[in-house]
Amino acid sequence: MTTRSTRSPRRRTVIALAVVLAVLAGFIVRLVDIQIVNADDHIADSMQVALGASRTLYGTRGEIVDETGQTLAGSILLYDGVLDPKNVGPLTREDEDGKRVVVPWKDVAAEIAAITGQTAEDVQKIVSEALAENADSQFAYLQRGLTTEQYRALVDIGAPFLTFDQHPARTYPDGAVAGNLVGFMSIDGDPLAGIEQSQNDCLLATDGSLSFEKGKDGVVIPGTEVQQPAVNGGTLQLTINRDLQWYLQQLIGEQVQDMGAKRGTITVVEVKTGKIRAAAEFPSVDPNDVSASEVENRYSHIFADTFEPGSTFKGLTGSIVLDAGGQDLSSTVVASSSETFPNGARVRDAFQHEAYQYTLAGVLIDSSNAGISKFSERVSPQTRFEYLQKFGIGSGSAIGFEGESRGLLYPVSQWDNQQLYNTSFGQGVTTTVPELVGAYDAIANGGMRMPLSLVESCTKADGTVITPDLPEPTQVISGQTSAEMREILENVAMQASYAKQVEVPGYRIATKTGTGEKSDGSGGYKAGVYFTTMIGFAPAEDPQYLVAVTLDEPTTVTSSSANAPAFQKAMTQVLKTYRVMPATTAPTLLPKFG
Amino acid sequence: MSAADALSTAPLSAPARRADPARRFRVVEQPSRRRRPKLIYGVVALAGALAIGTAQMALSILTTQSSYELSTLTQEARQLTWQKQILYDDVAGLSSPQYLAANASALGMVIEESPSYLRLSDGALLGAGQAALGASSVDAIGRASVPNALITDTPLVTAPDATIEGAPVEADVVGMDGGVTNTPPPITDGLPTPSTH
Repeated sequence: MTTRSTRSPRRRTVIALAVVLAVLAGFIVRLVDIQIVNADDHIADSMQVALGASRTLYGTRGEIVDETGQTLAGSILLYDGVLDPKNVGPLTREDEDGKRVVVPWKDVAAEIAAITGQTAEDVQKIVSEALAENADSQFAYLQRGLTTEQYRALVDIGAPFLTFDQHPARTYPDGAVAGNLVGFMSIDGDPLAGIEQSQNDCLLATDGSLSFEKGKDGVVIPGTEVQQPAVNGGTLQLTINRDLQWYLQQLIGEQVQDMGAKRGTITVVEVKTGKIRAAAEFPSVDPNDVSASEVENRYSHIFADTFEPGSTFKGLTGSIVLDAGGQDLSSTVVASSSETFPNGARVRDAFQHEAYQYTLAGVLIDSSNAGISKFSERVSPQTRFEYLQKFGIGSGSAIGFEGESRGLLYPVSQWDNQQLYNTSFGQGVTTTVPELVGAYDAIANGGMRMPLSLVESCTKADGTVITPDLPEPTQVISGQTSAEMREILENVAMQASYAKQVEVPGYRIATKTGTGEKSDGSGGYKAGVYFTTMIGFAPAEDPQYLVAVTLDEPTTVTSSSANAPAFQKAMTQVLKTYRVMPATTAPTLLPKFG
Repeated sequence: MSAADALSTAPLSAPARRADPARRFRVVEQPSRRRRPKLIYGVVALAGALAIGTAQMALSILTTQSSYELSTLTQEARQLTWQKQILYDDVAGLSSPQYLAANASALGMVIEESPSYLRLSDGALLGAGQAALGASSVDAIGRASVPNALITDTPLVTAPDATIEGAPVEADVVGMDGGVTNTPPPITDGLPTPSTH
């Protein structure tokens, strides 16, 4: 069939088809190359060649809010004014009559300065210095962190050599309220302290971008926008109550000044949950104006400082001997104001007295070092050590605050003869405020030590709520011991020398003071100055709030009585803030002596 | 006969073929006349093309138009955002507890000591039930110790001469005749009245 005449057209067809297919294949290869393989490069090229533009979509850094949702830290936009020194010069403007007037640079500089709060000379100096350094300089900061109002006013000057970079910044509406906790950020947006730093993962926003093509007149060409949306940071809710925090900061500020102390703190913890409701200290930092405070006041001393607690530890030792030493409210020891123990250790009380037959309540009311030392002999040192560990001494807190310290509790094998007794009344051991309030939380809360927390939750931009993982509560002492200890501490508040000063009319409260000696850094103690503490809770019959007041080296009154007025006011305010009802039952008076 | 028989019987086998007249070919006298294409199709096609063209142009004009509109609105939104930011900056810090407390202090309000509660069910008074002593438990204005850089220079609403950092000059308000110290300034323009319509 295939004759010469039929073969020829078919071959032509095949050849033609092959050519067409080859060309097509070539196009397909090129198409894939352009559209898929090198697509990104080409898009980038097109953006450059065409009137493409792109800008960063800033995500907003998350807010930090208090217990009730009030903003402690929010985000605003600030602007950096940038001068182009090379092109700085006179401006041509039209006046009211439509005539063109040339405004000399000197006057423009004065206009700029009037807005930024600099002087005309400052502005001129920025330019001349930049030019002196590099004659072709096109970049010099006029001022960073301009407000929107300043920015708009500067734009209205109409100087082409003045441009602006917008960047997100932080604002703290309440100023120094909780500034010690919230922390602050650098002008470049890096978190530098406090919760801003430790909870950065929650707060951090992810920037997006918007790229588009513009027509000749700057209008975006429809359909050319490519948006990579920004993701806002999460909202971080703290357990802090800002009104209470303010009151306590104001209060401790006054108390520190009244007592001529170096610094002071007030911490409030919700007994049943371990949530920190306020952590006030003075001096502190206003995150809006960090440079106004000394470097050593820019972080939280509540979490960072360790101290020898002194007599507040008698509450812990008392709990231990009740729980593990077979003691009860009627058990007694005989102690005079100065006791020498068989191992050679000598313990003295703060006041002179003959040999009393003290009950445990009496020992705590008089804060007798000798008395608690004798009681401490009713349990082994190892037992005391283990209990102190269970109370959380030396293990920090569950908060893990930026720069948080831990107390130093030596193992029993390293206790010398004196330390064997000193540890029972809080010397020869250091602790921190969070550790101490954690330990007292166990006493107040039926023996159950709740992990402290400062962060309530983090709500991400997509609505997911993340709550921090907290360790399990620890049963430190029995409920029975806790009840007995609460009764003893209530009697301390009623019968101690400062009873009148700490009384909150209508309420039953429990307290214990501590006057800790301070290390002089060379193995001894400083003379005449102390770290004083007053810790307590209310209502004593059903503890709900724990308050700890500390003063570092008060001088007007050097003992822990210095803390009493502040403690009383702080406790009153806490009970008011949380609408805790006054007591309807009467306390039981415990005898001091057996 | 046999042949005649055969002939006579043969046509019986295929009469149908011969009976079909349509299968006959014939010579046509002249080619059939080409039918003229109907005009209407052309019109429809052309009109369609035009319509598409017009619609596209219209759409394009509309899109461009709205993109300008969008641009104006974006500009407007930007202006409003700036305005919002300026206003936000203006009021920043006014909600802070320091400011509230300083304002209240300037009015002579005190932070009272222990609270009392009235139980509605039986009218019982819970708590100490004492009157305020007249002294605040903290001095929010005279000894302000919680700074706020946002409102350092902002005058108080209740005492325009004072800020959260500065005490109002209350000591000078002693009456000339040695009378009540907190006498309000005399009203010269009559009683202030709200302007209503």
